[in-house]
Amino acid sequence: MTVTEANPLLEGLRLKRTPEPCIITIFGASGDLTARKLFPALYSLAFRRLLPEHFAVVGSARSEMSGDEFREAMRRAVEEHGRDPVRDDAWDWLAERTSYVPTEFVDEAHEDRVAAHLVEVDRQWETQGNRVYYLAVPPMAMPMLVGELGKRRTSQGWTRLIIEKPFGHDLASAKALNATLAEHFAESEVFRIDHYLGKETVQNLMALRFANGIFEPVWNRQFIDHVQITVAEEIGIEGRASFYEQAGAIRDVFQNHLLQLVALTAMEPPPDFDAESIRNEKVKVLRALHTPGPDDVVRGQYGPGWIDGLEVPGYRQEPGVAPDSMTETYVAAKLFVDNWRWADTPFYVRTGKRLPRRETTIAIQFKRAPHPPFEEGAADGLRPNVLLVHVQPDEGVSLAIGAKVPGQGMTIRTVNMNFLYGGTFRTDLPEAYERLILDTMLGDATLFMRADEIEEQWSLVDAIVAFWRRDRPAFPNYAAGTWGPSASDELMHRDGRSWRRH
Amino acid sequence: MTPTVLGDWTGQDVGLDEVEHELSLLRSGDDGTEQRTSVMTHIAWVPPPWEAQARATFGDLGEFYPSRTILLLPRPDDPDGLDARVSMQCFPLGGGNSVCTELVELTLRGSRAEAPASVVVALLLPDLPAFLRWRGMPMFGDPVFERLAGLVDRLVVDSREWDEGLHGAYGSLAQHFGEHLAVSDIVWARTLPWREAIAQAWPGVAEADELDVSGPEADALLLAGWLRSRLQRPVALCQRDAEEVEAVAVDGEAIVEPSLPRPSSGALLSGELDRFGRDRFYEAAVRAAAGEYVRHA
Repeated sequence: MTVTEANPLLEGLRLKRTPEPCIITIFGASGDLTARKLFPALYSLAFRRLLPEHFAVVGSARSEMSGDEFREAMRRAVEEHGRDPVRDDAWDWLAERTSYVPTEFVDEAHEDRVAAHLVEVDRQWETQGNRVYYLAVPPMAMPMLVGELGKRRTSQGWTRLIIEKPFGHDLASAKALNATLAEHFAESEVFRIDHYLGKETVQNLMALRFANGIFEPVWNRQFIDHVQITVAEEIGIEGRASFYEQAGAIRDVFQNHLLQLVALTAMEPPPDFDAESIRNEKVKVLRALHTPGPDDVVRGQYGPGWIDGLEVPGYRQEPGVAPDSMTETYVAAKLFVDNWRWADTPFYVRTGKRLPRRETTIAIQFKRAPHPPFEEGAADGLRPNVLLVHVQPDEGVSLAIGAKVPGQGMTIRTVNMNFLYGGTFRTDLPEAYERLILDTMLGDATLFMRADEIEEQWSLVDAIVAFWRRDRPAFPNYAAGTWGPSASDELMHRDGRSWRRH
Repeated sequence: MTPTVLGDWTGQDVGLDEVEHELSLLRSGDDGTEQRTSVMTHIAWVPPPWEAQARATFGDLGEFYPSRTILLLPRPDDPDGLDARVSMQCFPLGGGNSVCTELVELTLRGSRAEAPASVVVALLLPDLPAFLRWRGMPMFGDPVFERLAGLVDRLVVDSREWDEGLHGAYGSLAQHFGEHLAVSDIVWARTLPWREAIAQAWPGVAEADELDVSGPEADALLLAGWLRSRLQRPVALCQRDAEEVEAVAVDGEAIVEPSLPRPSSGALLSGELDRFGRDRFYEAAVRAAAGEYVRHA
């Protein structure tokens, strides 16, 4: 055997999933996302030895601080937000590979300083010029940063960019950002993150659909009455007024998480689990999404109310929010996917803040049995079959079926069969960011959004926002702690349906 | 984690119908536990010397998998009969969820110990994989072992539990590799960090001639078997006894010791229960450890 051959010892080992040597540079490293999600995720990867030996992390942000201060802040962040205990050997391994360099994103000299630092770190940790840039920066800084990184890229090693949402604020800005990216980077080098796609249960939706032959024959307009997708948040805007005032619920959640859930629910089976195959199928759904009319979209804004027994302020009373703000904190819509599988099958989607509880679910409601042969009244307690995918919390799947109530007569009622991840598998599920960071380092873009997906999503959002410019609703129109404005219920009632009971 | 024990029932000289009845009662509790998921039947053959360890492992394992665990406790020298204990152990997970495992302990007395497969077959969960954890050296060729192995999808052993004659035992084990039975050895799982560490030393180990292992014989043999089968070359083994693998060297060059803590027996067994297909790398290593190493074209 010659030593130039591939390493045969790696076969069969988990090391096959260990990425190549690289540096991950986080722009926006002093921000909340880095402390809450990114660094705890990196630590968990280090804890499980999923990172390559030749590896380094460089934090970069406007804040002036030393490497020691950054590492200390990150240790506290891991202690507070990480899912694994901070063990000295794992932490030391990561900490010695971690450095910090302050930068002004609009200043070329600072960008040069970052580039010089990366060359030095690359030499120290032998990362072969491979770079992951995590762009957790405000939207206005994104194009310039992409340009600066593009100008400074070298031919040595590979480069991958992780782009945090929001990806633009409308179709035009998303196209402009895609164009800037395309100027300097190939599409295969760009990883547009939607952390929902990294969640185990979102991936389980694909397992549920494509690993179980019983669902495929009924996963269509013939058997499904409608689909309801809910992304409900109990929290308010958590001090993010400057962002939220610009974004609102439609850009914060609807444009990305909600539409991605629609795409995953409605997509055709891909020929394989390859990134392009899955994204090709998703984008077909997004393209086929029927733009709803004004009557099919409801927006709302929460007023004061009660959550968990505590009185909470209305949106307009939140710090930093304009007292006459017209930003929506709730959106519900009826969408149609115009293709053979789904024609005339409505997808009702809703998302909102300050709803009674945190919940993300996909409910597939089947058509009623065509002719129940029971006596009148016997099946009054029977509801249609519903396959419910719980994305969060209580990850799992349940199926509502009709069953006979024990006794002399024939009375039917609905019962739930529950499959809970927490009751079946160890609940030690990896955080979405762990999976997504590792996938980027491995070059696997399956769980990331492609340029055309983003643009299709914005296209739908632009059409909705265009309707909104024509009227001025009376906000607030729902109290915190309720399930949204009454118009949202009317949207369903008009079709003889109602939102799922919670 | 301490489980909540539900429906702890014991019976002496019982019939299987009574055991099945008790199991069905466990499914009809009014505490919500009737809506349970199971992922497998886990059978453990536990002769007396291994009983304490088997119970400890079950304690580690139960919280990982909702399953039916059947502990077979053979007592061939006792008077004929079947004693049983049936309970459900629920491990709280927070958020009101629990992982619940049915635990069936069957003491097989006298001749009942000669045909355990006939007892177990009635208790297998339908349509779910069945695993057999055999404590100690398997009784290769004996109907007790062969019939039990014939019932399950995966046989799990720990060759550190084998007394001596490991070369021959690995050879007998290799004869069971086949389409209908996958085999796991917990020693193989234990050696994973060392295999990874050796793999990291590539290409320095590409022309390896000798492997030095300070550790148990089983671990050393499987490491050597793995290296021979992967490199397709004869690799001599020099082994010094130790409780755990403490040091490994290839051609005199020390391999950097893996830094992760050693997982518990329960965690290792748990890892094996996550596997469903055959592991051709393990099978090749066992064959090579048994001296059955063949250079492939």
